[in-house]
Amino acid sequence: MNIKLLFLRLITPRSRPTTLKDRQQQSNNPAFLLLSSIVFLFSLSLLDTIIGWILLLVICSAIIRCAIFFAYQKHIPTLRTLNLLAILSIVGLAYSAWPLGLLITMVNLLVLACALKLMQVRTQRDVYQLITSLFFLIGCGFIFHQSMAYTLLYALLIFGVIIALGFFHAPQVDFKQQLKRTLILTLQALPIGLLLFFLMPQLPPLWQTPKAKSMETGLADKITPGDIAQLSQSSELAFRATFKNQAPMASERYWRAIVMEDFDGRSWQVHSARKQQRQINQFRRQEFSPVLTGSTIDYDVIAEPTQQNWLFGLDIATPLSLKSQGEIWQSADFLLISQQKLHSKYHYSVRSYTQAISAQTTSEFDRQLSLQTPQQGNPRTQKWISQLRAQYPNDQDLIRVLLTNFTQENFVYTLRPKPMFIDPIDVFLFEERAGFCSHYASAMAYSLRLAGIPARIVAGYQGGELVAKPNQEQYLSVYQYDAHAWVEAWDKQTGWQRIDPTAAVAPERITMGLRQAMLDEGSFLADSPFALAKFTNIALFNNLRLFLADMDYNWSRWVIGFDQQKQQALFKRIVGTLTTQRLALLGLAIVSFIAILLGLFFVPHWLRQKPDPMQEWYMRAVKLIESHIGARPSWQGPQDFDNHVNKKLPPTVSQTFADITELYVQIKYRASNDIQSIDSGRRQSLKSIKNAVKRLKKQLKGLPHHKLP
Amino acid sequence: MFLQHYFVNWLDKRIPAANEFSLNHRNIFIFPSKFGLLYLALCSLLFLLGTNYQNNLMLLLCYFLLAVFLVTLLTSYSNFAQLKVKLGRMPEVFAHDEIHLSLWCNADSANSITQHGIVNVGIMGQKMSQWFDADTIDNPLILTYQSQRRGWHTLPRITFSTYYPLGLYKCWTHLAFSRKILVYPKPVSCGVSLQHVSSASNIAHDQHSAHHAVQNNDDFSHLKIYQQGEPLHHVAWKQLAKGRGMYSKQFDGLEHVDMWLLMPTCSSSEVEEQLGKLCHQVQELSRQGHKFGLDLHYLQLSPDTGESHRTACLKALALYPHNYQSSAFAQAAGQ
Repeated sequence: MNIKLLFLRLITPRSRPTTLKDRQQQSNNPAFLLLSSIVFLFSLSLLDTIIGWILLLVICSAIIRCAIFFAYQKHIPTLRTLNLLAILSIVGLAYSAWPLGLLITMVNLLVLACALKLMQVRTQRDVYQLITSLFFLIGCGFIFHQSMAYTLLYALLIFGVIIALGFFHAPQVDFKQQLKRTLILTLQALPIGLLLFFLMPQLPPLWQTPKAKSMETGLADKITPGDIAQLSQSSELAFRATFKNQAPMASERYWRAIVMEDFDGRSWQVHSARKQQRQINQFRRQEFSPVLTGSTIDYDVIAEPTQQNWLFGLDIATPLSLKSQGEIWQSADFLLISQQKLHSKYHYSVRSYTQAISAQTTSEFDRQLSLQTPQQGNPRTQKWISQLRAQYPNDQDLIRVLLTNFTQENFVYTLRPKPMFIDPIDVFLFEERAGFCSHYASAMAYSLRLAGIPARIVAGYQGGELVAKPNQEQYLSVYQYDAHAWVEAWDKQTGWQRIDPTAAVAPERITMGLRQAMLDEGSFLADSPFALAKFTNIALFNNLRLFLADMDYNWSRWVIGFDQQKQQALFKRIVGTLTTQRLALLGLAIVSFIAILLGLFFVPHWLRQKPDPMQEWYMRAVKLIESHIGARPSWQGPQDFDNHVNKKLPPTVSQTFADITELYVQIKYRASNDIQSIDSGRRQSLKSIKNAVKRLKKQLKGLPHHKLP
Repeated sequence: MFLQHYFVNWLDKRIPAANEFSLNHRNIFIFPSKFGLLYLALCSLLFLLGTNYQNNLMLLLCYFLLAVFLVTLLTSYSNFAQLKVKLGRMPEVFAHDEIHLSLWCNADSANSITQHGIVNVGIMGQKMSQWFDADTIDNPLILTYQSQRRGWHTLPRITFSTYYPLGLYKCWTHLAFSRKILVYPKPVSCGVSLQHVSSASNIAHDQHSAHHAVQNNDDFSHLKIYQQGEPLHHVAWKQLAKGRGMYSKQFDGLEHVDMWLLMPTCSSSEVEEQLGKLCHQVQELSRQGHKFGLDLHYLQLSPDTGESHRTACLKALALYPHNYQSSAFAQAAGQ
């Protein structure tokens, strides 16, 4: 079947089914085609959540529906077949989806139910069930996707479902008409929906809900610098930060996320003792509180979903708002840890004390974790450090020497280092001398530990793209390719200090970002040739990218990040101080606004419906006559009725009625050639007919009334 | 029972009978349908889920769906308010036959249809038996129901309902039409028995006058040029087929004598059957174009022919008083 035929089929009205039953079972209703594609598209949008065989089932049911629509196939599968299929599917689902967690099982179950229902829709009731579950399913889709693109897709799907629903109630309308009517309906509903959204109270969660288990993204909690795996580069957003005042300098944008203290000679990871300690503290509700001194920066962060608990903050970060304080745990290694894993975009507000890191104290526990080194491996480094230590007993001197070693010995910053499997730090320091941030951080931290200086690796992000527009708060977009690792060392005199060996080797990485640093090598986002972030030198693409980023930022901030706090701020802007009285007035205003809006939609419609006043007066006269001579048969035109009246009623009355009829016929059926004259003539005729009807009423007063036989 | 009575009274006041209707706020009822309630449940579920997941997009969807629910209330109403209904002409109805009501919906505005969607139609209180699609209306709509007994009948209320546009609301109305319908007695087949009576005044006393059985086929006498108005079954079709022109057969009938159909005196249980028989005879005689009179004791129709005479006879039969015969019978028995 080619497209033209399909199109014809969609726009031409279908033959009218003869009975009620036919109508309900009408399988060539285009709504079915629409619903099939909606179920299919929705399943595609959740490709990594929906189990493969359920997707197959969805495709099957869509094909069956299409076959029935195009009359390749006459009968839908029997109820018995479908029930059997349903039982089998439920068993299959219980087997394959149970380990995936409750939420994903539920979503899969719903998709499965929709697919089966689609196959067997027979009655109006089935249609309603299918459509209700589709609405619900698309709503659930927002748990998994919240970006603008997906929101647009789901909005289109919802629109499609409404069109399908319309088709079930007006099957003879062609597609274009249906589209138009649904569009009007949607556009009328949208402002009301938005109004309700912004002004209905935002409630805190009522109870714990099952969360999806899915792939962790973003930072890994284990770094193995020597592995083949290159630093995964992606232009995906990691988080955005909106600054209340001035944003920090580029070289100061170190976003701490994870601290790694366990080193086994090859890879760094979060120490198990640290995890245990954190768990115990959380159990005892003994939250760590850092020493807070110095200048502060306040900002809001909207983190993208990572399926992990790590949050991002500039050193030393503390949760600012009450909501954030309740949801964020501060750990002894100055991390912000979310109580819930980040399944969807998460918004929190932070205050950072930028100079406070040196004022922090440390415990014996921290010291021990930060000094632990493996006995075996990297012998050359061990030897080299013991020599250096003998030469430079002062900690600060040693650190300086180590850093100058990186600058003087022709170390190269690259995103394509050679793999280093055996004694990776030896190989890196004395042979390859090329690597990216984690190579440098790893070598540095190991060296410091060998020298007896407590040191650890901090993983997070460095840099970001600042958008500063007049009249708008500055915001910083941090992407995955801004991921970074640096070293933190403890010294009795200075306290904890941040040491970034990458800054010594490739200062442009810190001040200008990865793109600038990799300009010569050309390895920036080498795996994704079409990433917009690569084409910053083309003005059009860069503007487009920045525009999209800006839209996305506003979307996250105002729609996804809209919460109780923002709502209250909005209320405050509307009514001033928040008193109950004013809020009540606001509520009243909203209700009346919605009523006015609805009135605006429909009043023109009703006005149009009002009958012509001429007609009204004529009908009034007819009614008067009817009460005396009986009802006018529906087939009698005005002239015929006048003749009839002439015979039945005395001449005075019938003459008046004849005048009325003439006036009415003249206006109603006269050919229109001059609008102006018609308009003035009309007004006159209206006056005359009014008088005539009044006269008629008087004349009829004495006459006997008509009685039904 | 009391409630139903109350409801009917209320309805009579609210939507008085009329000949034609255009719907407005006085006669339209609107309420969320079952699906509408399901839809509201869906909205509250989305609200709960959206709140628990702190998912604004889900909340937005929930509010949007609610707004759609609100807007459809008015769309649904204003669409249904476009409906205009008229009752068409009805064929003759005999007792216990089916009455075919022909309804003309939006007949005047055929060129500019403003109403859409499927409308279900049925007798109030019964299953919706008919439907039409306002977008492709096919007038008239025939609604059938069983008639009961002879006599005047008011039409039952007719229910129109629609779920347009999205099935969230049911819009309905119960319309009463002021036209009354006269149900004739059910014809009972029998032979035609006419009575030849010298004068109409002494029929009641002349029970034993000579019966003159009338054959269904009278003797053919001659042909006459057909004149408009003569019964078609008297046309000599053979002559017409032979191309000799339109002739009308003339019979040696009894047209020159006054012949009467007579309601016999009988017990009240037989009245209906007798009326049926008379009805059959009236039909039969009119079909053949005979001149006859009808004497029902309570009413006498002098001998005549033609359509208007036939309807007058049928009307007289239909309105034969129920208790008339029994009182007459009692009188006769008393003498």
